[in-house]
Amino acid sequence: MGVKKRRTKLPGFGLTLGLSITYMSLLIFIPLSALILYAAHLSFTDFWELIINERVLAAFKISFLSTFWAAAFNFIFGLIIAWILSRYSFFGKKIIDALIDLPFAIPTAVAGIALSYIFSPNGILGSFLQKFGIEIAYSKGGILIALIFIGLPFVVRTAQPVIAELDKELEEAAASLGANFYQIFFKVIFPSIFPALLTGFALAFARGLGEYGSIIFISSNMPYESEIVPLLIVKKLLQFDYRGASAIGVTMLVCAFILLFFINILQGYAKRRRKN
Amino acid sequence: MSIEITQVGKKFGDFTALENINLTIPDGEITALLGPSGSGKTTLLRIIAGLETPDTGTISLFGEDSTWKQTKDRKVGFVFQHYALFKHMSVFENVAFGLRIRPRRLRPDKAEIRRKVFSLLSLVQLESMANRLPGELSGGQKQRVALARALAIEPKVLLLDEPFGALDAKVRQELRRWLRFLHDEIHITSVFVTHDQEEALEVSDNIVILNKGKIEQIGAPEDVYDHPANPFVYGFLGNVNLFHARLDKGVLNLNHAEGGAEVSFFVRPQDVVISLSNENGKGVEAKITGHRILGSRVRVNLKTIAGEKEIEADIDKKQWALIEKENRETIYILFFGAKIYSKDETWSDYAI
Repeated sequence: MGVKKRRTKLPGFGLTLGLSITYMSLLIFIPLSALILYAAHLSFTDFWELIINERVLAAFKISFLSTFWAAAFNFIFGLIIAWILSRYSFFGKKIIDALIDLPFAIPTAVAGIALSYIFSPNGILGSFLQKFGIEIAYSKGGILIALIFIGLPFVVRTAQPVIAELDKELEEAAASLGANFYQIFFKVIFPSIFPALLTGFALAFARGLGEYGSIIFISSNMPYESEIVPLLIVKKLLQFDYRGASAIGVTMLVCAFILLFFINILQGYAKRRRKN
Repeated sequence: MSIEITQVGKKFGDFTALENINLTIPDGEITALLGPSGSGKTTLLRIIAGLETPDTGTISLFGEDSTWKQTKDRKVGFVFQHYALFKHMSVFENVAFGLRIRPRRLRPDKAEIRRKVFSLLSLVQLESMANRLPGELSGGQKQRVALARALAIEPKVLLLDEPFGALDAKVRQELRRWLRFLHDEIHITSVFVTHDQEEALEVSDNIVILNKGKIEQIGAPEDVYDHPANPFVYGFLGNVNLFHARLDKGVLNLNHAEGGAEVSFFVRPQDVVISLSNENGKGVEAKITGHRILGSRVRVNLKTIAGEKEIEADIDKKQWALIEKENRETIYILFFGAKIYSKDETWSDYAI
């Protein structure tokens, strides 16, 4: 073989790699392979027909689009929250900081019920929004709200340490060159925190794709309209259509992997450019 | 006069960084703000740049009160110790930054920006590096890019905060000679902060010596070196021998005997002369306790017989060879250009 074994100065590579692979195998590779193997019982044409079913495609569209928009929304507002938390000190900052992690902690069903309660036509926010003809709960908007709620901590927590460590002198240098706040932000600060924000976006996106608990409470769950992929899978399972469920599961898996892989490459590029 | 600083004071909590500073910085010259760490020199520079606001007093730039003007409106070029280059931009983009962010009506067109950036890069001798990222440059190159970037906006003043502080000794020497040379070409009013007295003496036209938030002395390099206003300045501008003695009718009495006023005695090592004989009777008898050869100079450690004062002399290597050959038990030392400060003035000893 042309590959030469390179000796590394840092010890422990073999051990840690071995442990990582074992761990990943037990937790990720083996269960996912089982899923793929199960789906492999289907012939290709059967598989294909299951997927291009109109209802399945609609669910994919709803899942991916709403997750994307929710993650994009969090990208912006998560950045703003991370910014105030790491840049300024104000009354109640500690409390806000602690609140950020709540979406991680509370059961998603509870979050879904609480959100649908306040956004329902009788709820505090829902009744107000209804005056403008905006319906959130029991519609597509509900899915978005639930996903935004679930994904917020990811963006805030990845951006916060990076913003805190930004070199103040860069901003001062830009100011001395005549830049105003917006120019400093978009030309100097933003490129530095972009890789971290992208990580937060990817995490929120990945988490959102799999979200089930909160959405089924706030969405109307109407096929073709507001039915998400995880719900469709559960429905198939309830009808003992295990093959159909696994086919959708595998497709979801592949799509998610491709997207995350792409985001990782983009992030690697942004980071390299910054580090060099 | 270009920069007028009037009664400026600044506190950080309990710490007084600057106290009642009055200073005029002359046009077209390089002024050094020299002082030990914590003397307030960087704070003063940052106040001139608008990166810090003074608690009291005013700053006027070119006849215009600028105390409350924002940094971006001051037209000052600022160079940081750690370069502060934009890491995600190439050398070209870094230098062009100040021009590209101008409002459209003041912004030069693309070709003009390109021409200007390249003329600046040729001034700092980095034309071939235009497409590199800052991470691919050495420290000295980075600082030259930072300088070109600051000059691109055609600032009225150039402010440099320990510009050579992060560089190694050889590059530092090269760069400060080059800065002096550059200044002789473009004559921009410059203020630079340093804690290195040699750097201040070599580069600047004027030196402002700061200590504990106050100005100790202002003057041309040879002025402050030859005529230090007080013991602090004397001690800060070079190595110094300091010991306490009594002055009896103009004669130095090293024994702490009665009679005469107690004084502090300052003498630079290069002003200590070692002699084998005591012809005029003014020599102080001493023993050689050690020596160290520093290139072309020799540092000799001496101890006086009377009073056992430790004294350091900095002499020529040839002279050292003569003294070493004689190998006397004791020799005589003479002081030239020593300074005496009497005890009733208040100041602190300065450790070498």
